[in-house]
Parts: sequence; structure tokens; C-alpha cells
Amino acid sequence: MKTSAILGAALYAGAAALGMAAHAADPVTITIWCQDDERQPGLNLAKEFGEKNPDIKVVYRQIHFDDVTSEAMRAYSTGQAPDIIAIDNPEHALFASHGVFLDLTDRIAKSDVIHKEDYFPGPLASVTWDGKIYGVPKATNTIALYYNADMFKAKGLDPDKPPQTWDEMVDAARKLNDPDKNVYGIAFSAKASEEGTFQFLPWAQMTGGGFDKINTDGAVRALTIWKTLLDEKLASPDTLTRGQWDSTGTFNSGNAAMVISGPWELNRMSQEAKFDWRVTLMPVPEVGAPRSSAMGDFNWAIFKNSKHPDAAFKALEYFVSQDPRVFPDWGQLAARANIEIPPTGDAKKDAAVKVFMEQLKYAQPRGPHPDWMKISKAIQDAIQSALTGQATPKDALDQAAATIQGILG
Amino acid sequence: MRRLYSSLVDGRGFDLCLIGIPLAFLIVLSGVPLIYNVVMSFQAVDMFSLGSFIRPWVGFENYRQLIAQPEFWPIMGHTATFLAASIAGQFLLGFALALFFWTNFPGASWLRGLFLVSWVMPGLVVGAVWNWLLSGDFGVFNFVLRELHVISGNVFWRSDPTFSLWSVIIANIWLGASFNMILLSVGLSSIPGDLYEAAELDGAGALTRFWTITLPMMRSTIGALISLGLIFTLQQFDLFAAITAGGPSNSSNVAQYWAWDLSFKQYDFAKGAAISVIMIVVVMLASVYYVRSTRHEVRG
Amino acid sequence: MSETYRNRLLLVIALLLAAIYLFPLYWMYITALKTGSEMFATPPSFWPDDPQWSIFPFVFQLKGMGRFLWNSVVIASGSVALIAVLGTGAAYVLARYRNVWVDVGLFLVLMLQVLPASLMITPIFVLFTLTGILDYPRTAVILAIAAKSMPFFIVLVRATFMSVPMELEEAALVDGNSRVGAFWSIVLPLARNGILVSAILIFMQAFGEFVYSKSLIQEIELQPSSVGLNAFMGPNTNEWNRIMAFASIYVTPILATFVLLQRRIVSGLTSGALK
Repeated sequence: MKTSAILGAALYAGAAALGMAAHAADPVTITIWCQDDERQPGLNLAKEFGEKNPDIKVVYRQIHFDDVTSEAMRAYSTGQAPDIIAIDNPEHALFASHGVFLDLTDRIAKSDVIHKEDYFPGPLASVTWDGKIYGVPKATNTIALYYNADMFKAKGLDPDKPPQTWDEMVDAARKLNDPDKNVYGIAFSAKASEEGTFQFLPWAQMTGGGFDKINTDGAVRALTIWKTLLDEKLASPDTLTRGQWDSTGTFNSGNAAMVISGPWELNRMSQEAKFDWRVTLMPVPEVGAPRSSAMGDFNWAIFKNSKHPDAAFKALEYFVSQDPRVFPDWGQLAARANIEIPPTGDAKKDAAVKVFMEQLKYAQPRGPHPDWMKISKAIQDAIQSALTGQATPKDALDQAAATIQGILG
Repeated sequence: MRRLYSSLVDGRGFDLCLIGIPLAFLIVLSGVPLIYNVVMSFQAVDMFSLGSFIRPWVGFENYRQLIAQPEFWPIMGHTATFLAASIAGQFLLGFALALFFWTNFPGASWLRGLFLVSWVMPGLVVGAVWNWLLSGDFGVFNFVLRELHVISGNVFWRSDPTFSLWSVIIANIWLGASFNMILLSVGLSSIPGDLYEAAELDGAGALTRFWTITLPMMRSTIGALISLGLIFTLQQFDLFAAITAGGPSNSSNVAQYWAWDLSFKQYDFAKGAAISVIMIVVVMLASVYYVRSTRHEVRG
Repeated sequence: MSETYRNRLLLVIALLLAAIYLFPLYWMYITALKTGSEMFATPPSFWPDDPQWSIFPFVFQLKGMGRFLWNSVVIASGSVALIAVLGTGAAYVLARYRNVWVDVGLFLVLMLQVLPASLMITPIFVLFTLTGILDYPRTAVILAIAAKSMPFFIVLVRATFMSVPMELEEAALVDGNSRVGAFWSIVLPLARNGILVSAILIFMQAFGEFVYSKSLIQEIELQPSSVGLNAFMGPNTNEWNRIMAFASIYVTPILATFVLLQRRIVSGLTSGALK
């Protein structure tokens, strides 16, 4: 008798708990996948959005940037996709063109917060596919030329007149190169990965080339210059296997006089570089030639099979509304022209940010094309076979152009 | 029922049970994924259809395209070099160390344990450390060789196509030598000491004793180690990603890295699967060899 | 050459070999103490200018390392337990007989672990999603690791069983033991060392397992250290000093434990037991 009473009570409690659980599941849950940690915007903004909207439960998964795309594909094909994802901009088209992302065109048109015309053209193009908008740029970055002004002075170069053209840059690299002191003229990355493409493509674009016209005379000249830098040991031979972050490390430690890299370096450089460093725009083929640069960073997107697209879009609106904080709080650049960049109190950094904001105007997206990674691979192969002397720059780029033509159809 | 029970405790059933459960476990959790890869290599794979088995069938088209790629044969060649050099290097270095520590001087057992460090360090860290050690400009490897006057200028281990594959092999030998050493040490310590005493009385020299006692007694350990070495080496991936990324210009690219690059960088899952099937076939041949070699083993 | 003199000489050589072999470990510690760009300096600095000792407590707190380490311990222990229970029996049977079926079994065991984890993860993920195991992510990782590492264990432990004299088992059977009894009280104790060493090696591998953990475990509360380590690498940033500090914190205790354990396992017991 006693046992059954206890059992009954337990059953009742169990049923009540189940009922509670069912009730508690009522608030809308949105899942966000992003590579940001506590010091970057994604995680903080997601958390704040959850706090400001008690009726929406936010689940955040930090996901490593190398794995974003493969994890997303795997999850989507098994019905486990998140609601919102932050995705690298050249891969956006792959998802958009397969109809995996939600078309946000109408929602953005109606939105009071997100305005298409606020964005730089490059980032906007990367979220656009077939005339429709499938995401919102999360932040942006580009590359420019950092240089060590102290070394410029020591070698009789004017630090207020950094190289403006390719030839000037090679000349400066020759003058700055000092093997006895373990100093290379310049550092950059020609690694067989997306980083190599990211660094090379702007050079081709400045001469009127691009991923679809990679073997123009200008692009061949650019690759020949890269080869000269390596052949004359003006840049470390390890340029072929070293990424941008490690290459810039050699600049910070005083073993390279110039480096081509992006604004993600600013914090580390201002802490660690014990010299007068400055930034100038990417050198152009000749005076007056059009400028160009690479465009990096991630976009926000909503998966089409999200159960709560309205809540997810509301989250994106919140993220966009906080764009002015992205630089002061987390050191990233919003992809918008109408955001004031407040001074940080570090004169070198403030000057550098101005240059990067100018450079961003010329930043062009990679693609957009659904098969971007295959196109990129062809470009990487061309860079590597030319720089190791297996093919001439012309032959290597012709080969890449043929491969890319096959992909573009 | 009684017969079943007694078979389980005291007969064939006991053996079948011991081997059957693990095999079933392995077939479900490793066999099914392998078959998934094999099936995928004959299909046209859309990256958003990874969740299903049913996809358009294309026969050997993926293989044909793969073999037609100019990098195919060089990469297969690199894979063979990598396998042979790594396994030989790991085994010989491991055996040398095991024999050295077997002499059992004071402190030997402590120091031997430390060598397992390469087994404990996470792959990401091992890769990064070797990346720096082998780096051309600031690498310690070059620094030491320069100080010893072995080389006059820096060697760019990672970025010179002649050396890039060898830079990964060096790191991989370092990585694998320790587990060879520890397991060979266990094997050595289980050889009865009186065998050596008897041989010594017969006037056999150290080298003769090694050939006639040590090697034959270690036969099953050595067979196991070499076949495991093959598998570990075929699975080695972190070092390529960290040290050379397969570059420059594919000079250090091997099958397993290429398969990963095709699948997860270029999203060509079918071709990635096709390479993995080629790897499976190679290991299949090697396993047949291993299994045949165990025929000659004598227990006890 | 006197005994002591020989021993000293051998010890010096051994220390030298260890110093060379352990250099990557030293470099891991030293890089943890360097500032971000100092590790790229030419010539390399063998001792940092300004060692950043505070990095160890900092990293420990920043990433909540206690939780990561606990998850690693759970995953590694679970995997070892599963592998030891299933694998020992399989190894025993494969060592006891010599026929075609054993050949087939050995062949299967080897074949099944040929592909790297990075190529196995997609089908495993699909499999676990379909069966619902993915809702128990740490169990899912334990199962996946067990499948990956069990062949390793079986092949090694089989070699150990091969060195247990068949006559001992037969004598036990003649004495009236059942098969189970003979296995449990005679064969298993004699193969103890090989099993222990293999289990420890598996534990260490499972402790640092990365590919399965990062894909199968989505909740940060359940992730092991290897995944936490990876979080220091972002697009265009690799915080090497923090990665190395994080790795140092977890490598050191395992290595120390192993040095203590293996001394007993490898040198002490076997030879005595077999005579």
C-alpha cells in the first residue's frame, strides 16, 4: 500500500516534470554557429541578444573556421543545421546557389535596421547570388603594405614616401634586404591554400585581370615579380609554405622590412613590434593604375530550413545594429562605409586603420562562384609551380586559366 | 540450454563469443563507414546529399578523372616514399633505442619513459613545433647544422621541393619511433634470460645471439609493429597540414592529404572517396602479407 | 672497463639521446613563455627575453581548462575500458588458433582501420545521427574512438598472448579448469604487462583525440581539451604561445604518470613471471 502510494506520487511528479519540460520548450530556440570566442563580436552579440529577448533561447556553438563549411554541409544533409551561421565570404555563393540559405531580400527591404546601401560593394556582392541577398556581411578586412619606418631611415629611404608602384616596391625590397642582419626586404604568403589566392588575386585585378581572366599580361607580370622576390631572396623561400600570420610574425620580430597583410594584425603588432611601423595602400602596377585589394572575413546567413526564421532575422538585425561597436570593442572592421571609427589612443594604430578604411573601398570579393574552392586551387597551383620553377609564370597561369575555364563552363 | 552454457564456458562458444562481439562492433562502426566511402567513390556526390546512400551512379568515372590529373602519379610516388622511409626509420630508430635501454644501466627505465613524449603531445602542437624547428630562417634544425658546420647556408626544408617530403618524414620518424621502442622493450623483456646464458656458454657472439635468439623471439612483435606502422603512417595527416600543406607545388603531397584536400577543401567528395578506396586496396595487399607472415609464428 | 664506469658512460649517452629526442617538448614549453612574435626571430632564442610565466594560470582560467581536462579523462577512460573488454578476448582467440578463420579475422581487424579519421567522420556522423547516438555526444565519441583504436590494441595484445606458453594453459585445463577459468587465472595474468602497456598507449591517444570530438560534440561543456586547444586558432590568427601553454598543462601530468608506470610495467614483472 505504502509502496504504491509512493509510486503514485513519483509518477505524478514525473508527469508534472514532463509537463514542465514541455512547457519550458515553448520559448523559441535559435542555434548560432560562429568561430568567434569571448574576445570577438559573434559570441558577445549572441549572448546579448539572448539576454535582451527572454522569449528567445540562444544556443551558441563556437566552431573552428577551418571546419565551418564541412560541418555545415554535414549538418544540413542530416537535418541538423543551425539557424544562423557565420560563413567565410568566398564560400557564401556555394550555399546560396544550392538553395541552402534563406533569401533575405524582402526582409532586408522591409527592415528598419539593415540597409543594403550602407555596405561596401565588395562585401555586398559576396552575399548576393543571382540578384538576391542571402546574408549580411559580419565584418570585413583587406590587405595593404606594412613597412618598418626605422629600417627605411637606416637604408636612406624616405619613410613618408613608401613605395606606390610595383617597381618601387621591388626596389625598396632590394635596398632593405640585409642577409647579414637576417632581414628580408619583404614578407608575404604564397602558401598552397586559400591564403595564397587571397594574396595574389589583387595583383591580377589591378591589371584588369581577375579569377576569370587569370592569364592577362598584367597577371603574368605580377607573378614574375613574385618570382623575382623569391629568386633574389628578397623574401624568405618559406613564403611558399607559410601563412600570413606567421609571415607577419617575422616582420614584427624585425626580420622583414615590409609585409603584405591585413588589419587583423593591428593588435599584435601594436603590442609586439618595437619599432615605428606604418601602413600604405597596396602598390599598383604603374602610377595612376586602378587600385584593388582582397576582401576577407565572414558573413551571417540563415539556413532555409530554420524553424524560426523571424527570430533568426531579428538576431541579425540586432547584430547589425551593434556594428559601431565592432571596432572599438573587438578590433574588427564593420563592412559599412557609414560607421565612424573612433580613435584608440594608439597613434600608429589609428593611422593604420585610416589606410585600411581607404583600401577597403577597392576590396573585391573572390568570386562569387559556387565552385570557388576549385578555382582557387587552380590559382594556387599556378603560383606554386611558377615560384618553384616548374613552369614559367606565363605557362602556369595559362594552365590555370584553362582549368578555370573548364569550371566556369 | 545447458549445452549452450557449457559451450560458452568451456568450448567453441567461448571463443566465438570473445571474437564475435568485437568483430561485430568493428564491422558496424568501421566497416559501414568504409563501405560508405567505397560506394561514394562510384557516385556523383552533391555536397548537400552527404546524408543519403542513394545518388547517381557514375561507375569508374571518378577514378578515370583522378588518374588523368597530372599530380596523380607523383602523389602516389610520394606516398610510397613516405611509407617506406617512415616505417623503416621509425622501426630502426625504435629498435636501436630499445636495445640500448635494454642494457639496463641505472636510470634507464626512467629515461625510456620520457621518450613517449612524442606519443602524448597533441598533433596540432607536434606539427607546429616541427614547423618551426624545420623552418628555413629561424629554425633550430638549421641553426644547429650551421653551428656544426654541416651546412654553410640555410636549407629550406619545408619549401625546397627536394626536401619538403623529407621534412615531414623526419618529423614522422620522431613521432613513431617512441611507440616502436616501448613495445619492442616489452618484447625484449619477455625473452627468457637463460636462452642467452646458454648461447653464451656455447660461445655465440653478441651478433649471433641477436640473429639467432632476439630476432626470432621478437617475430610476432615485429610483425605487429610493422603492420601498425603502415597504418599509422597512412593515417598521418596533422604533420602535412602543419609543416608543408602538401606544398610547394605538391612536392610533399601524399594520398591521405590529397583525399582530405579534395573532400574538405574542394568539396569533391567523390574523388576524395576514390583515393581512399585506392588506399584501402594498398592496405589490403599489405594485410594479406602480414597475415601470411603470421603463419610462421610459433606460440610460446 | 669496470661496471660503474660503463654505467656512467651509458647514462651520459642516454641523457644526450633523451635531450635530443625531447627537444620538441622543450620547444613547446619555451614557446609558451615567449611573446607572440619572438618565436619567429632569427637567430632562434633558446631562452625567452622576457618569460611570460603568467600565461599558465591565464590560459587555465580563460578556457576553463578543468572542465576540458575532465571531459578528456571521461572520454579516454571510457574508450580504454570498452577497448580492453572487447579487444582482449578477440586478441586471445586470434592468438590461440591457427586456421583460415583466424586469418580472415586478423585481416578484417587490420583492414577496418586503414582510413584516417578525417575521412571516416562523415559516414560516422551520418550513422550516429540516424541512430540517435548523437544525442549522447561523449558516448558517441567513445564508440568512435573504440572502433578506431581497437585494431591497434588487438594486434599488440595478440603478440603478447603469443608469448604465453601454450603448455601452461593446457596444464590448467588438464587440472580441471574450464576454458573460462584457464583464461582468467592463467593466461590473462601472464599477458598482463602487454595489455597494460597497450591500454596506456590507447589512453594517451584517446586523451588527445581531436577529429571525432570536434565534430560529434557540439556543446562546449562536453568538449575535451584537444578541441579547447584548437579554439586558439582563428582566421588569420594563431595564438601559438597560448596553444603551447595549454598543451604544456595537459602533457606534463600524463607524461609524468607514464614515466612512473612504465618503469614498473616494462622492466619489473614479465621476466620473473615467465620463468
